[in-house]
Amino acid sequence: MKVLLLCYRGGPFCGGQGIYLFYLSRELARLGVDVDVLVGPPYPDPLDEWATVYKIENLNIWAVRTRDFGPGRLLRIFSVWNFIDYLFTRFHFFSEMETFSMRSFFILKKILKIKRYDIIHDVNSLGWGLLLMKKYGIPVISTIHHPLTRDRDADLMINETLWDKLTTILFYPLVMQRFVIKRLDRIITSSREGINELNRAFGVNREKISVVYNGMDVEQFRNTGEEREERSILFVGNTEDQKKGIRFLMEALAGLPDDIALTIVDEGPPKKENAARLARQFGVQKRVSFTGRVDQKELAGLYSRKAILVMSSLYEGFGLPAAEAMACETPVVATRAGALPEVVDGSCGILVDPGDARQLRDAILKVLNDRDKGLRLGKNGRKRAVENFSWETAAKNTLEVYKDVIHLT
Amino acid sequence: MPRPRIFGYLAVLSTLILAGLVTYSLYLLTAENIEYSGTDLNKINNFTFYAVALPLSLVSVMVIGTGFWIGWTILTIKVVPPMPDIADKKDYSKIKAFFLCLFTLCLGALLLYGISIKNFWALAIPAAAISLVILGAIFWVGIAIITTRSTLPEEKK
Repeated sequence: MKVLLLCYRGGPFCGGQGIYLFYLSRELARLGVDVDVLVGPPYPDPLDEWATVYKIENLNIWAVRTRDFGPGRLLRIFSVWNFIDYLFTRFHFFSEMETFSMRSFFILKKILKIKRYDIIHDVNSLGWGLLLMKKYGIPVISTIHHPLTRDRDADLMINETLWDKLTTILFYPLVMQRFVIKRLDRIITSSREGINELNRAFGVNREKISVVYNGMDVEQFRNTGEEREERSILFVGNTEDQKKGIRFLMEALAGLPDDIALTIVDEGPPKKENAARLARQFGVQKRVSFTGRVDQKELAGLYSRKAILVMSSLYEGFGLPAAEAMACETPVVATRAGALPEVVDGSCGILVDPGDARQLRDAILKVLNDRDKGLRLGKNGRKRAVENFSWETAAKNTLEVYKDVIHLT
Repeated sequence: MPRPRIFGYLAVLSTLILAGLVTYSLYLLTAENIEYSGTDLNKINNFTFYAVALPLSLVSVMVIGTGFWIGWTILTIKVVPPMPDIADKKDYSKIKAFFLCLFTLCLGALLLYGISIKNFWALAIPAAAISLVILGAIFWVGIAIITTRSTLPEEKK
């Protein structure tokens, strides 16, 4: 089988999609699938061992002032798609998905003169170009972990002025995504909750949505054997993302004994101010530390050393940190938001209501004060993660979806 | 002079000339012939008129429609619960959004009415706006090319 994967940002630090692209392409290739990749910048770690990679240009100029582009990018603006990108981004549109899909469409036209694909698999873009690609007679599917309406609503929740709201609404290409998603051959999402979400947000027919749980590297994410820091809790995620509910974690931390410290795996100030501001607001700034960006090896070490992973999310499309922590035998305290109850069950963690700092605090204390319980939850977590959330399983299930779509079309 | 800077100057000069031409041809050249209601476009062949009016009005309606859609979204969206930090603050954005909807509706109606009676300004204003936005973008890139250092300052090398 020949598959073309599309990903508008392929770097491993650009949200989950870069990681998804890397591992899914590798595991599909291991299953005997011939994988080609069309990817935009930041480009992924080398995939050449198992896939043919076509790099697509993009200037990544959203929220960058024209004067700060630098000489290299300034001259490249004078080409059709770069200029469209430039024009749209000046009006606060996030046009990267549109232009990536259109550029891909034109490049695909050239590739198809020498190759043929059985299926085209888009990751997260839902751009207009996908509909044009369908005209080549190849089924097109897309993976959507959660609809962007969730991100928009989370942003609107903190926007105070009309201008903030206006730019938030302009930023998300929801009109395009709503139109495109209904016309694709299949949508893959990473949880059963995702089916309801996509149906609610975009009116996608439930029968067109398949669930494939996200994968993770269960060999990389395993307990390193380092000694546990018994009074230390961990948070992994983008602290500027309001969906992560970091505010409630800070509030919970303020209610916990002073010897309990929080480590955040993300950039702190001056790059990201939100978490530090909230820590000051709740008077816990001395108990909060930031690691900055870490690679997977370091992350596995952090999961293994800290006593608990806390996910205070108000919404999660999947909740990859929870699965990674489980694989490292670390108990998880998470909210029941989004897909988290599908990842974390009672055997490997404690679930609380989203937006309730008191429940979060009590659950953390319960695990910290009962060492045996923590150990038991950790062991069960590893077992559950390996059985359900390995990339091998994810790739096999994705391949089943491919076969089903090809058979039907 | 380095080549990129020549491009920059070319972009700035050509956009200035084109912007001047657009403004002159649409507003100054016709001014003598225009009464307050504008040039009479009824003399133009229907096909010719709509060949220009349709694409222009389509783009204009899309822009105005986007404004209306933003206002409507702010007016109707239910985002619950609000973040506790800002829950107590007064939010006037719904009132402003209402006026945004009203304004865009009026503007859209005015545009369509203008097109239907073949009013000159219904074509001239959107044409100038679209042209000047595009030219302005090129002009701004040209300025940035001219004023951006192409090499690092000596001490940072």
